Order: sequence, then C-alpha cells, then structure tokens
Amino acid sequence: MWIYEKKLQYPVRVDTTNPTLAAMIIEQFGGADGELSAGLRYLTQRYTMPTSQGKATLTDIGTEECVPTGYQLKKKLPR
Amino acid sequence: MDRDQMNMIVELMEVSFVLVETALYLNTHPNDERALRLHNNASTQYVQLEEMYQARYGPLKNTGMSRYPWAYIDEPWPWEINFNFN
Repeated sequence: MWIYEKKLQYPVRVDTTNPTLAAMIIEQFGGADGELSAGLRYLTQRYTMPTSQGKATLTDIGTEECVPTGYQLKKKLPR
Repeated sequence: MDRDQMNMIVELMEVSFVLVETALYLNTHPNDERALRLHNNASTQYVQLEEMYQARYGPLKNTGMSRYPWAYIDEPWPWEINFNFN
C-alpha cells in the first residue's frame, strides 16, 4: 500500500536548461536499467526473500525507486 | 506559497529525508541503539512538524482532515513550488 504525500523527498535546484542532461536523467529513471524497473524488481523479489532484514530492505528501496523525479526539470524543458 | 510555509515544508522534507535514511540503515542494523535514538528523535520531530503544518496549511495526505472546502486539492503541488535556495 502506498500513500501520497504532498511534498518532495528533496528539492533540487535547476538553474540552466540542459536537454542532454535531462534526457540522461529520464533514461536513468524510466529507461532500460532505470529506477522504475529496479523498483518493481525489488518489490517482486521481496516475496522470496528468506530474512526479515531482506524483506524490509527490498520493500523500502523498492518504494524509494518508484518516487517520480525531475519535477523541477520538467518546467525548464522547451515544449 | 509564502516564506513561512516554504520554510516549514522544507524543514518537514529534511526531517523525513533523515527518517528514510535511518530507517533503511536500521533495516540491516536493528541492534544499533545509537541509530535507533537518532531515528526516534527525528520521528518525534516529524510528527510535531507534520501536525503543525497541516493545521496551518491543510492536509498533506488525502487521509487528513480538512476545512471546508476540501483543501487537499489546493495548489501548489510539490512540483509547482518554487524553492528559494538562498
């Protein structure tokens, strides 16, 4: 079960427009070996984890990886 | 969003970031009493801050209580806040 909170995990300052970097960050988040797929992998692997430490850690890092990033980035990109 | 609200939400985010890190560490070091104290202190601080923030500015979660009309939908949403980094 996930609960949305109207806050960021951490605010990030973006002071220049950099589409190349933006593309890299988006790839890192949603791409082939990105956080999104890693997150879903952790959340699935936790069910076969033998220890409680492992179950807890996979649950929590799986949740972390699913946090959407690039909030401020979006605003700076040309449409 | 005025300066007071911004300062308060930034403080809330800082404390909750601490909680994420201490919780992850404690998952694999459940007997570290020093880390547990750090976590519990941050947790207490978080509960107080969260209560103060929501009483002033409305619910952070859709399970929260709200004045009339329903304030959960009030802007700004987190990605719309212009954080002042000075």
